[in-house]
Amino acid sequence: MFKNIYAWLDERLGFDDLYKGLLDRPEPHGNWWNTLGSASLFLFVMQGVTGIFLTVYYTPSPDHAYDSIQYIMNGVAFGWLIRGIHHWGASLMVLVVFIHMLRTFFSASYKYPRELTWIVGSLLFLLTLGMGFTGYLLPFNQRAYWATVVATNIGGVVPGAGPFILRALRGGTDVSALTLSRFFSAHIWMLPAALAALIGVHLYLIMRHGESAYPDADD
Amino acid sequence: MNDEHKKKVNQKYEEQLQKGERFWPDAIYKDLLVSFALFILLIGLATFVGVHPEPKVDPTDATYVPRPEWYFLFLFEFLKYFPGELEWVGAAVIPGVLVMALMFLPLYDKNPFRHNSKRIFAVGLMSAIVSGIVTLTLMAATTMSNLVAVILGVLVAALMFFSLYKEVPFLQGAVRKAVLWVMTIALVGIVGVSYQQTAAMASDEEEVHVASSIAEKMTLGQDLYSIQCVECHGPDGEGGEIVGVTGIEDGTFVKSISSKDEMYTRNDGSLFDIVSYGQPNLGMPPYGGSYGGSLSPSEIEYIVTFMRYTWDDRAEVPAEAAGAAIPALAEGEVPSYEVHVSAVTKRQCLSCHREGKENNDYLMDTYAGILDGGINAPNVVAGDMNSILLQTIQGVELSGNDGEIIHVMPPNGKPIKDEYIDIFIRWVEAGMPETADDAAALSTEVVPVAEETPSE
Repeated sequence: MFKNIYAWLDERLGFDDLYKGLLDRPEPHGNWWNTLGSASLFLFVMQGVTGIFLTVYYTPSPDHAYDSIQYIMNGVAFGWLIRGIHHWGASLMVLVVFIHMLRTFFSASYKYPRELTWIVGSLLFLLTLGMGFTGYLLPFNQRAYWATVVATNIGGVVPGAGPFILRALRGGTDVSALTLSRFFSAHIWMLPAALAALIGVHLYLIMRHGESAYPDADD
Repeated sequence: MNDEHKKKVNQKYEEQLQKGERFWPDAIYKDLLVSFALFILLIGLATFVGVHPEPKVDPTDATYVPRPEWYFLFLFEFLKYFPGELEWVGAAVIPGVLVMALMFLPLYDKNPFRHNSKRIFAVGLMSAIVSGIVTLTLMAATTMSNLVAVILGVLVAALMFFSLYKEVPFLQGAVRKAVLWVMTIALVGIVGVSYQQTAAMASDEEEVHVASSIAEKMTLGQDLYSIQCVECHGPDGEGGEIVGVTGIEDGTFVKSISSKDEMYTRNDGSLFDIVSYGQPNLGMPPYGGSYGGSLSPSEIEYIVTFMRYTWDDRAEVPAEAAGAAIPALAEGEVPSYEVHVSAVTKRQCLSCHREGKENNDYLMDTYAGILDGGINAPNVVAGDMNSILLQTIQGVELSGNDGEIIHVMPPNGKPIKDEYIDIFIRWVEAGMPETADDAAALSTEVVPVAEETPSE
């Protein structure tokens, strides 16, 4: 019976083509360094899943943000685990993405024909840092607040555009409720949407050009 | 880049595919294994390290030392070298140029060769940048001297460069691989140390207690209440006539704040506002940092939690908070400073007998302070029932060394509870033991219970 179900689904979804196109691909001999890209993707998915769970209880307002996180940590079953994974996953993701980038640089994988893969990848790295930056404010504790005050101040010293950058980041002259809702929106909608889209492009480019081979002495 | 070169590259890649492997299953098991290891690592970190607790936002606390996430620390440190007018160079120009250089790298790196021995400049430059990031992070996050940080940073870069360069005779084959792995692990280690040190530095500097449960909030709240509020409002919020409080006229009457009336008509928000803003018309000063007081929002919240859960008969006190803060004495048990006396003084005496209050320099926050502090020392003499401390808390006025009268304590004439006085008497009788062990040695009966519940 399962055979029949499989055949019916395969006829419509095309498992075999998927298998051939996605999994049964030839690639040059790799090593453990090649796992960092998929590890970054895994961490992105983990951050997405834990982040979605956190939004169930998190409230992005200055009066309630701190208390809602206290509640997640102490009141919600396994809330501490979800938040702990999200907290540490952020650090780990920055680290893994960075080492992935170093690997790509030192194996010169960004050269023809994979130039665009690198450019998209470096955008992904910047977006990851952006996620770290916006996520840092959300607990709205002392550390988060003051770090954001200082960081947005730094944006404000740019000549000419400084005051505009400062107001655009803060949504006003001070770090306030508007800053928090701005960062929240960026953290859960804008940046993840951009990340997901660019990850799609990144993966498409990898499929198209194949995984790069490690250079030998002739290259 | 000409077509001939492109053709060569593509041809070579085809060859490498021929003698390569399949994505499934040759490569993907490694991916899955690494992802799974990261998953386990995350669960371990979340469970055994957790998230460092931080107090609520306090925008008035200008003494707070801001610290960014560890991966921005190097930028933070880098900015220190661009003071004043030049700040925008370090903040915008240099990072901007580097980001652009990173992103558009394939467009201007026209070197057709890929092997690291043929791209020394690129490998050297990247090693130098990584070295700079590592050095700056170490400088910002640890207490090591700048020299050590620079040496470590350069070492990282040098090893990275030479193991990648592939032409150094003694760094070949397995050795080269080993060095690369050690480098990566060292990099991760440095991150770990930086994180640890940042957290340690943060907790050293601020010494802020952050409560996570209601029981902890109640305890911290009561500690704060015993210092900040008890002089006027009394240990149980009963109020009464104020005597001997700096800044407030003797005889001012304070109504009870622990009554049903009060507890049923004010919610936590309004209690918070009153503590924060004070009652200017009734003589209560503001305590919130925003209004010139000394308490942070977290601290006021703890006080409100203490009040609500202690005085409001509708509040359900969590089980772990039910234990008494001041342990009761069993028959024949000798109290110690560590467990009993410090718990009583914290609640009943420290409010006035601390730095910055009128108290004839008698500070009661340490063991030595209670015995020999102030101008009338010695305040207690082993076995002497006429010791100043015992007399004043039992309503006897004495004259001190300078001939001035030592007033009855507490100054409003309402004595502290009998069981607390009893703790002091038995403590002096036994010769003022400091630690719980000393006291246990002096006790006539084996008392296992009381010492297990220290006040903090």
